[in-house]
Amino acid sequence: MTVSMKSNIKEVLNDVRHSSYTEKKSSYMDVNKVNRLLDSINDFKNDLKEKTVRIYNVNENMDKLTWFNIDDLNEDCLMALNDLISSAKDLQSSLIRQYVVMDKILKVKEIAKEEIKDFKNSIDELKESYEDLESVFFSLPQMPEFVETTKQLSLI
Amino acid sequence: MSIYCIQDFKTEFDKLMSKNSYKSLEFKLINYFFDKPISELISGKRLNNSDVTPYIKKRIGGSGGFRGYFLLLIKEESLYLMFVHPKVGARGSSNIDDESKALLYKKVLSCIKDKQLYELTLNNEKNKIVFKKC
Repeated sequence: MTVSMKSNIKEVLNDVRHSSYTEKKSSYMDVNKVNRLLDSINDFKNDLKEKTVRIYNVNENMDKLTWFNIDDLNEDCLMALNDLISSAKDLQSSLIRQYVVMDKILKVKEIAKEEIKDFKNSIDELKESYEDLESVFFSLPQMPEFVETTKQLSLI
Repeated sequence: MSIYCIQDFKTEFDKLMSKNSYKSLEFKLINYFFDKPISELISGKRLNNSDVTPYIKKRIGGSGGFRGYFLLLIKEESLYLMFVHPKVGARGSSNIDDESKALLYKKVLSCIKDKQLYELTLNNEKNKIVFKKC
């Protein structure tokens, strides 16, 4: 029993001695590997920020279209606006799918949390922008009471 | 420029101001609407295709903040706040539907005609909005 115990202790001792020697020689962590990881995270954050800015620009440009006068728009313009609304809906669907993956994999690990939050906000605003475009050019002008209110206000 | 609001706006404003998470609304409204020439307020989304009486939806307090709905009577240099809602939080919503946009529009016309309005000014310190019934 004593011999067996002694043998076990020696075995563990050898393991610890070996580990101790190896770790003493090695650095605390592989700096190159860590730097590569941090660079990848930074690249991801920068790409996402750029993409978010592009979406905000699209939203702003769609908002500006609401200042065009409907009376000056011919059938072709209205069809182009309809295409724009459809394309914006497609874009929003694709972006939401990307967001869901990011949220699942990265946000829970606190990676690029703020960038992902802003990305989601830009997608929400994209939805709001195409909904408002649809309201301004297609839904509200079809509501007689709405058109009548505009007429009455112009007389005040 | 004179600033007015209808009851719907005041009711929503009071509800939001009673919640700590929306207390920034008053500061944001003061910052955006008060002591500004009317030309600076012609931005956002125009909902009614009118140059002289634009009905505007505007982001207040940047992305994810609040949405304000207001009417400008350019010639009269007056502004009518109709509604405000936050984008996020317990009272947040992403948008309001077309029926609500149309109803608010009809309501503001009727309130202007009947003078069922509040006039909005600032206190001496210019940090609080004062509502006075017209």
